[in-house]
Amino acid sequence: MVIVKRKELTLAEKLYLPEVVRGLRITLAKMFKKPSTRQYPEEPLIKTEVTRGQPRLAVNEDDTIRCVSCGMCEIACPAYAITIDGGETDRFIEREPKRFDIDFLRCILCGFCEEACPKDAIFMSDELELADTTRKGLIYNIDRLKRPVSALKKRIDYVKKINDRWRTSSST
Amino acid sequence: MTVLLASLIKVVVIFGAMMSAAGLATLAERKVSAWIQHRIGPNRVGPFGALQPLADGVKFIFKEEFVPESATRWLFILAPAISAMAALMSVAVIPFGGLIGEIDGTPIYLSIADLDIGALWIVAIGGLGIYGVILGGWASNSKYSLFGGLRASAQMISYELSLLLCILAIAAMSDTLNLRDIVELQNSNTLLGFLPAWNIFYQPLAFVLFVVCTFAETNRHPFDFAECESELVGGFHTEYSSMKFALFFIGEYCAMIVMACLTVTLFLGGYSVPFWEDAPWYIGLGAFVVKAAFFMFLFLWVRWSLPRFRYDQLMDLGWKVFLPLALANVLLTGLFILL
Repeated sequence: MVIVKRKELTLAEKLYLPEVVRGLRITLAKMFKKPSTRQYPEEPLIKTEVTRGQPRLAVNEDDTIRCVSCGMCEIACPAYAITIDGGETDRFIEREPKRFDIDFLRCILCGFCEEACPKDAIFMSDELELADTTRKGLIYNIDRLKRPVSALKKRIDYVKKINDRWRTSSST
Repeated sequence: MTVLLASLIKVVVIFGAMMSAAGLATLAERKVSAWIQHRIGPNRVGPFGALQPLADGVKFIFKEEFVPESATRWLFILAPAISAMAALMSVAVIPFGGLIGEIDGTPIYLSIADLDIGALWIVAIGGLGIYGVILGGWASNSKYSLFGGLRASAQMISYELSLLLCILAIAAMSDTLNLRDIVELQNSNTLLGFLPAWNIFYQPLAFVLFVVCTFAETNRHPFDFAECESELVGGFHTEYSSMKFALFFIGEYCAMIVMACLTVTLFLGGYSVPFWEDAPWYIGLGAFVVKAAFFMFLFLWVRWSLPRFRYDQLMDLGWKVFLPLALANVLLTGLFILL
């Protein structure tokens, strides 16, 4: 059993007014501090490589998509936001997605897809703004998800760095 | 005739000033709250959000005027009007400044009415404001509104006693209820040679009691049981919308302004400037505005610093602490006057 010992109040504390003045002094000091809010549309968000925005598909310099439609991200996705239909291709990797949809009404930006991807094909971009007037408009198809590797460079480097210990032994 | 015209001009000017001051006070409330919470506050309408009260007003006018089906209709409509009217009427006797000039030998002072019972007038008309709150709460026919109204009236009545006793101490000391005479008395001499002869130095206890009572009297934090968002939704104005809702707020802010003005008049020498006995009226007006603005700021400052009291604690404080203290203060004052 815990016995809570209540602190005996001093006379000044019982009188309440000195304590009120103490509280007022604190709030007065706060008034002259710089606001900690951001004027959002005018002042853009601070974006670093740690920013986990919406997932995007990496596209190589030669305009080929890295994804081989293995479905790992689809399975890893806790919100069932990803839908993939695979298909064959003449390229060396033999398979590529015919359809790759991410439903951003479901996506929770957890980054599990990025972690699950064995081909370094999907990354959390720094794009965070999401708005549309229809539900359909928020289901992104493959064309809207494609981003050149150069645009995702910072995040790719970061992910490689934190996952280095098991990626260096990968056969790809 | 010209005297009448001068009075009319004073009425219009002071009424307009009160309304715009109430608007400014709403803006100040939002700005001060923002600063205290490290925010920026309204800044979209006009430079630094200065036109926000106008935008609010336009919004209120265009909102739907909603009257609940079970409400007592005419009381429901009457209540906000009473609330705003009481607050606006009580400003009539506040002396904002000294003598402006003379017309046909009649001195023109910067206050609407120079009543001999000025302090009494403010308390009497200000007391009518309770009707706005309780009628609004009752006529809405909603349990939360009724709670809010009842609490507000109980609170205002119990704190009005202490408020009155503080005014009584001042009135006894100055031997008058005329607010202008009270100010002139504070203006005319100095205390111990280095302090202005303001009543705050003669009656420090009454000053503290009075300021706390004004908070309770105007239903402001930490005594805003009439609104009490966390327990009573919105209190007495839960069912109100549109301009009727706005009227309650104009009433509240005007009451705050009146109380700030009254505090300044009774305790801080009103429009008197320390050590400048015959200052011109515009300097006096400036001094008055500065002093009153400080008390307005105090209202906002306290609101965003302190949590709300518990209701029973509030009543305990009012009846068991404030009333005896105020009574003792009056007794002591009387004793000193007799000696």
